[in-house]
Amino acid sequence: MPPSASPARIGRRLLLGFIALPALARQAAAHAVVVASDPPAGAVLAAAPRHVTLRFNSRIDHARSRLLLVGPEGAQVPLDLAPEAEPALLAADLAPDAALAPGAWRLRWQVLAVDGHITRGDVPFTLQPR
Amino acid sequence: MEQFLDLYGFAGVVLHAAELVARTALLGGVIFWVGLALPLARFLAPGDATRLRRIGRRAVLWSGLATLLATLGTCGLDLLALSATLDAPFAALLGADFVHAAAVQALAILLLLVLALGPAEASAVRAFGLLLAALALLVGATAGSHAIARTENRGMLLAATGLHQLGAAFWIGGLPALLAGFRLSPAAARRVGQRYSAFAAAGVLLILLGIAGFWIGYLGGVPALYGTAYGAMSATKAVMLGLLLLLGASNWLLLHRLSGTPGGLLRVRRFVEAEIGLGIAVLAVAASLTSVPPAADLPEDRVSWAEVVERFTPAWPRLQSPNHADLAIPALQAQLDREWQQRQAAQAARPQAFTPGEGLLPPRNAGDIAWSEYNHHWAGLMVLLVGLAALLDATGRVPVARHWPLVFLGLAFFILVRSDAEVWPLGELSLLEGLRDPEVVQHKLAGLLVAGFALAEWWVRLGRIRGRARFIFPSAMLAGGVLLLLHTHAIGNLKDALLVELSHLPLAVLAVVGGCARFAELRGPAEISRLARWVWPLCLVLVGLLLIIYREA
Repeated sequence: MPPSASPARIGRRLLLGFIALPALARQAAAHAVVVASDPPAGAVLAAAPRHVTLRFNSRIDHARSRLLLVGPEGAQVPLDLAPEAEPALLAADLAPDAALAPGAWRLRWQVLAVDGHITRGDVPFTLQPR
Repeated sequence: MEQFLDLYGFAGVVLHAAELVARTALLGGVIFWVGLALPLARFLAPGDATRLRRIGRRAVLWSGLATLLATLGTCGLDLLALSATLDAPFAALLGADFVHAAAVQALAILLLLVLALGPAEASAVRAFGLLLAALALLVGATAGSHAIARTENRGMLLAATGLHQLGAAFWIGGLPALLAGFRLSPAAARRVGQRYSAFAAAGVLLILLGIAGFWIGYLGGVPALYGTAYGAMSATKAVMLGLLLLLGASNWLLLHRLSGTPGGLLRVRRFVEAEIGLGIAVLAVAASLTSVPPAADLPEDRVSWAEVVERFTPAWPRLQSPNHADLAIPALQAQLDREWQQRQAAQAARPQAFTPGEGLLPPRNAGDIAWSEYNHHWAGLMVLLVGLAALLDATGRVPVARHWPLVFLGLAFFILVRSDAEVWPLGELSLLEGLRDPEVVQHKLAGLLVAGFALAEWWVRLGRIRGRARFIFPSAMLAGGVLLLLHTHAIGNLKDALLVELSHLPLAVLAVVGGCARFAELRGPAEISRLARWVWPLCLVLVGLLLIIYREA
């Protein structure tokens, strides 16, 4: 994720926005947020998960949502989504032969909520060396 | 494409606000035409009757065109962002629910436009068609709202959203047509106003019903009002709704009880103009609200009341330019580093969410904060000075005080020189090199704009500017307030960003109220001008004080 504006920078822009109406940029706009996940954020796992799930606060358009794993070196592994079981649940099975290296991983998601809002984010977890 | 995604969030909210304003005016226009103008015209003199029906028809035509453009623009922007982030062709995205909802709305608007193309006098069948198409538009809009994506209380929230939007149409949406209706003969205009006030009262009731649903489904309690971005925006909306109610109640009194007073109708017109300004601001907040998750979904890591009190407890302003030798900077940095580490540890165990183009906040820098506070505090002092000078001017006893706009030139100079420490004249980069950074360009343009409206207002004071150019200053205040309401929100409960936002929301409301008051002062009549000339300087004084006590840590 690229770094964004610091609060001080936000404050400066807001101040300028108030007194002079510049073209204000970078507005945070998100709607769907993760309320639970497996693996949970910050989990330390002894072995790679065989199945991942994300539960959102909103109903999700599964056909227009994505899941992928981002490895310690930045390598990306797209995941095939499981068929829709619940409107707010996104799930995927990892290939049985997928060998995930030890280190810091991120389960990266992008979802389209059915009201049209696009949101993305990461669930970080760590794989321990064997 | 990255640049497009950077702008997507803000552009989306601005377009959505435009869509909401236009759609509310369209639904309100249909209600005015079919529900007020057509039945009432039968009891008016032929000239007034014809003009009233035309007003209703034109309101539908113009707002219909604006709504169509805004709806297609919003949907197109979302499709572009989705296509860019998924790397998928447009055709594969057309099956999305929000596209279906937008298509229903577009078809309904087209039907309304076709029905409005005929004569201003409408048959019963045509009037029924207009109402049916308006209902389809409302259903389409509700189907594209937050409520449709909820996992719980969906039916109740869909009903609350529909009623809330319908209420806004009844009350706010018909105001432009009502304003035009005041150009009829005084007797006819009063009848239009009296009939409209019944519609507005029904609108208030529907809005309150919607709010009750939102309270249960989206907010869930008082702590959400200051602890989350959604709650803070809702509270701001409630404050402005209260101001609108005051204006509406004044209009009701003037139309029903005090109609005999001379100039009463003119006063109603001015209040309606102020209502339109506030109404646009309220709808801007409503659009902004759709960009954040409901407070009920973010029960963790909220801003506590103690943190709000701590942040808003006045401290001596920072009036000396910070430098790295300042002993307070390392101490503040050490505190920020500790907070950053705690936050990092907490965030590692909590999933984050972002809109495309937006991301994690970097560690806070004490120098940056000190610089920002210094800028806010000096700007606050200058705005306070402007407000006090304008108050003096309002007394009419200090002739030199009429030059108060010149104080804004000091503020413009301050922005031009101080905003970017690394650029000429303070930094090592030349002005031309600095202008390659879009943010530097923004700051320089901001300084020039402040200088521009200061000079314009000064000329108004000197009597050199008449006509519509007199409204440059109040327009700048109003637009500044609305833009602030549309600006950044914390998606999750990011305390730093939320505390900054909490301090800026009152500024936005004061700017909107001040802008409306200055409009009213310029437009008259004398009894309104006499009151309004005190209101907006008072708003500026309060803005100055809020900026002076502003803190970021």
